[in-house]
Amino acid sequence: MNPLNVLVIDDEQVICDACRLVLSEKGHTVAHRLTGQQGLRELERGDYDLVLLDMKLPDIDGLRILKIVEEKAPETCFVVMTGYSTMSNAIAAMKLGASDYLSKPFSEDELLATIDQLFAGA
Amino acid sequence: MTSPRQYESYFRVFRDIIRSMDASKNLTEVLDVVVTKSTEVLDAKGALLRIYNPDTDRFDVRAACGLGENYLAKGPVTTEKLLPDPSELHQVKLITDLWRAPRVEYPQEAWDEGIRMMVDVPLAAQDHMLGLIRIYLDRQRDFSRDELDFMLTLADECACIIGRVQLLEDQQEHFYHLATQMDKLSSLGRMAAGIAHEINNPLAGILLYGSNMRKKVPAEGPLADGLDIIIKETQRCKTIIQGLLDFARDTEPHRVMTNVNRIVGSALGIVENEFHLRHVDIGLTLAKEMVATPLDANQIEQVVINLMLNALHAVDEYGHVSVRTFVDQTADTVCIEILDNGCGIAEKDLKKIFEPFYSTRSEGTGLGLSISYGIIRNHEGDIQVASETGKGTRFKIAFPIQSEAADKKVFP
Repeated sequence: MNPLNVLVIDDEQVICDACRLVLSEKGHTVAHRLTGQQGLRELERGDYDLVLLDMKLPDIDGLRILKIVEEKAPETCFVVMTGYSTMSNAIAAMKLGASDYLSKPFSEDELLATIDQLFAGA
Repeated sequence: MTSPRQYESYFRVFRDIIRSMDASKNLTEVLDVVVTKSTEVLDAKGALLRIYNPDTDRFDVRAACGLGENYLAKGPVTTEKLLPDPSELHQVKLITDLWRAPRVEYPQEAWDEGIRMMVDVPLAAQDHMLGLIRIYLDRQRDFSRDELDFMLTLADECACIIGRVQLLEDQQEHFYHLATQMDKLSSLGRMAAGIAHEINNPLAGILLYGSNMRKKVPAEGPLADGLDIIIKETQRCKTIIQGLLDFARDTEPHRVMTNVNRIVGSALGIVENEFHLRHVDIGLTLAKEMVATPLDANQIEQVVINLMLNALHAVDEYGHVSVRTFVDQTADTVCIEILDNGCGIAEKDLKKIFEPFYSTRSEGTGLGLSISYGIIRNHEGDIQVASETGKGTRFKIAFPIQSEAADKKVFP
């Protein structure tokens, strides 16, 4: 797999840091933003292959972010992360273009397997 | 010989009591009419009506008339003294010698009150005593067979009313308890869902760092062992929180007409092996004719499995668990009953068993029963538990029969 440009949008610093650690060890470049607004601005500025997006952000709902970026960055791959692992949430996110779903807490293997599956052969 | 005038007065008393029953839903008002009218018709000094209170094991005064405050203020009466011999449960007892009668607890006070004779009429329901009407006379006199018959009939009528009101009160109490319980559990659920989200975030950090570090330490050794424990325990927390969210989520059941017998049979198939392994005998009695019920089969199966496993854990090896399905025609419900002869649940714990995280087993999450409760509640059903320490526990789940389904029988 080619190295990816990854953006983590989560209001929890510890999750951003942990994702950065795990992914950068695999050769990916990782940036993070702690709010929805900051995340959206970063998405307009940068060129990302993958976004790990928390569903519950202090300013903008994860689903709303998906709606906004659906038009702006259609080529970016979104994986949503949430503490509420409900099927309806997952379905709603998928309908809005998310490629996969990670239910918190998840391990390094789960995170890597999800990414591997999405970018296999890339 | 009873005169027509007397018959007429008996008739009037019955009429007044029945009218008071119709006009009032308050038991006290009816009992007041009973004591006043019986005093009047028997030309007595007064009367006292006591009802047995199982909480205090005493016969409490519920209505009185014609007696002075001093006499009424005397101490409690001993329950054993009032309990008649079972053979005399439906007999009127005449007490002519107050000083020597074992049933009279305060002869001096009675004498001072001007009482010279007492008539005890038991309020009996089939084989036990609900209460007692004691009629006080200021002189000794004989009673005709008709008068005794009148008193017994009056007592029967009265026992019937008390029984009916007590049933109503029990039901009211049950529903009140249910409503309070539901309220409490739903606020607990809401709170739990909020906490779950907050906890999942730090857990995500622990699990990501833990699993990342695990790959960097030597495959074997204390570091690897410690990290394995951290990872395993974090995943256990995730399972607990998932259960809590399931409980709080109020998942709308996907209900289709289902045969409860089939659900129970399928649940048994899943847990059977566990029972064999622990040498616990499990008996199954399915209703021959079962009414189709709108249920989410998966959810109800989850509940039944949970209750069966709880029963399994409650009994020692070689214990016995029995599962029964039946249709309760009186309550119009389809029921599943799970009975075990295990350790039982202490009375103080019974109130808490449906609360999330309440568990007496070290390996339990304490969510099984609360999730089951939520599922049954979403089916408009009811779950009841009766237990005695050292003897066993009985769980009964009941689902209302839908009127249009009542004619449709499903055969197992």
